[in-house]
Amino acid sequence: MVNVTLKVNGETRSATVPPETTLLRLLRDQFNLTGAKLGCDVGDCGACTVIVDGKPVNSCLMLAGQADGREVLTIEGLANADHLHPLQKLFEHFGSLQCGFCGPGVIMSAKALLDENPNPSAQEIRDALGGNLCRCTGYAKMIEAIKGASCILRGEEIPAVKSAFVTE
Amino acid sequence: MPDKPRVIEKPDVLEKPDILKPPAPAPLVTFPVEVVVPEGRQQTPAVGQRATRADARLHGLGQTKYIDDMYFPNMLFAKIKRAGIASARIKSIDTKEAEAMPGVIAVITGRDIPCNSFGPSLKDQPVLASERVFHAGDGVAAVAAVSEQIAAEAIEKIKVEYEPLTPVLDPLESLKLETPGVHAPSANIYGHKLIKKGDVEKAFAESYRVFEGTFRTQMVEHVPLEPYACIAQWDANGRVTVYSTLGRITLGRADVARTLGIPMSRIRIIATVVGGNFGGKNEIRAEPVMALLSKKTGRPVKCVYTRSEEFTASTTRHPLVMDYKTGVSKQGKILGRKIRLVLDGGAYCSWSETTLGKACILSAGPYNIDNLYAEAFVVYTNKTMTGAMRGFGAPQVCFAYESHMDDIAHALGLDPLEFRLMNAFEEGSISPTGQKLHSVVVKESLLRAAKRFGWNGLGDGNGTGVKA
Repeated sequence: MVNVTLKVNGETRSATVPPETTLLRLLRDQFNLTGAKLGCDVGDCGACTVIVDGKPVNSCLMLAGQADGREVLTIEGLANADHLHPLQKLFEHFGSLQCGFCGPGVIMSAKALLDENPNPSAQEIRDALGGNLCRCTGYAKMIEAIKGASCILRGEEIPAVKSAFVTE
Repeated sequence: MPDKPRVIEKPDVLEKPDILKPPAPAPLVTFPVEVVVPEGRQQTPAVGQRATRADARLHGLGQTKYIDDMYFPNMLFAKIKRAGIASARIKSIDTKEAEAMPGVIAVITGRDIPCNSFGPSLKDQPVLASERVFHAGDGVAAVAAVSEQIAAEAIEKIKVEYEPLTPVLDPLESLKLETPGVHAPSANIYGHKLIKKGDVEKAFAESYRVFEGTFRTQMVEHVPLEPYACIAQWDANGRVTVYSTLGRITLGRADVARTLGIPMSRIRIIATVVGGNFGGKNEIRAEPVMALLSKKTGRPVKCVYTRSEEFTASTTRHPLVMDYKTGVSKQGKILGRKIRLVLDGGAYCSWSETTLGKACILSAGPYNIDNLYAEAFVVYTNKTMTGAMRGFGAPQVCFAYESHMDDIAHALGLDPLEFRLMNAFEEGSISPTGQKLHSVVVKESLLRAAKRFGWNGLGDGNGTGVKA
């Protein structure tokens, strides 16, 4: 068994888990943060994406022990009781999610992108979503929502013609 | 900065006591009721309106509860041992070592299933294989343990002795009468459909040229992002509650009742939020197994498929072998078409009959063809079962007839668009099965699309092409 202490969504949490436990299992089974999903368990689908020290990570590929002493942000830490994150707001507004299973992973990948690049082009958004698979939406509305959220975060208006986002 | 004090407005109830009264009853309906029949292609008021999904906010917050996000006190985790061999007779299953493992609470095999067969149409699918293995993804035993990891280790310790049999893997091979039956003594052909119109041989004799082509498509898995999952809880009253991602819970309830040998009234299926279906969650899979494990242990049991199980042990899209023969006049009018479709049904029927029907009906394409002979077969092979998937056979035949149309246009030196316009359905055309068609805009759509992307009659070899 290994002892793991890490900061999750701003709160220090610790657990004692078998050494083969992944970060995803730690979050879901020990901390009851079920937002990150298990889709493939081999790092292909991105449904388990969380942000570790500012970088998007497939939490199914990271051992819980490797996350010891680090800072983890999950989808549950994005909104607070009063406000949705602009990404969450626009994903809802644009209908960017259908079955929703890939959603938490996609939004975390997008959050990591916007933290690093406040004004990404459609191509840069596509690249950032390269590790996230979605079978329902075809990604176009996700790209629109991410582009829109980048406008809000920069304090700008969302351009009226939203389709312009995708075909720059 | 302190918040502004909140002003509490006087409740409406005090001002207007009327609103406490129940609403007036609706006026009586006098017959005949006026039924509004929308005119052809009239838009409903909903079209063009912005709508947000009711569940969108929970999705975005990560608060939607899919089955794997649910937990019940004392819950056990189950794993199913897969055969890993396409065709075999099971000689013995030894579960002793697995049962002795600390943390393993129960093990069941096919012999524990009260009625070991189910299926949406033909009841040809065992819940867990007990005598024969029909494809590599067949389950042979299931383990319930206190953790998923112990369950996964335990299925490795189950020893199954097989007598390997020669598998049937090619659908065309399976079509031949001398090929041994996958489900002997039943024949390998388990579904057939024929659509006949006019005299196709006469049309070929009168044709300027006759073209032939064979087209094949591959097996496709739905890959919903959420793998198959279910939780079953058998209570002391002899009632079972199943949390399931099934798209058709009422059919599923009948199948669970049949396999467990208990009345439907004792089964409650709770449909949960589904993480993608696409046709792959239209029939039960491990629900009866989880129910029996729960009965044996008295605890709730959860099972989540791994991604590889999703590929090997759930349904897939039918691979098709499609033979096309088409006779055309000198001008490019299609005079007759003969089609043979062979659907690879895999080990079990599942939704093959529906797929067979739709593929056959649509196999001639959206073209006016007076002389048609379309025949479709679905056959068993020792492969992953095929079933419902978006389109039910339509995408496969579309690939074939449109490729065939391109081949013909090219050989005749015709513009592929022109060739299609010459033959396409129009308002009032009759479908191969005799249905008069309304709201037909094939030609208009083709012309408009051609204009939009600047069709030059050839295609630029960069992915531009015509397809009706």
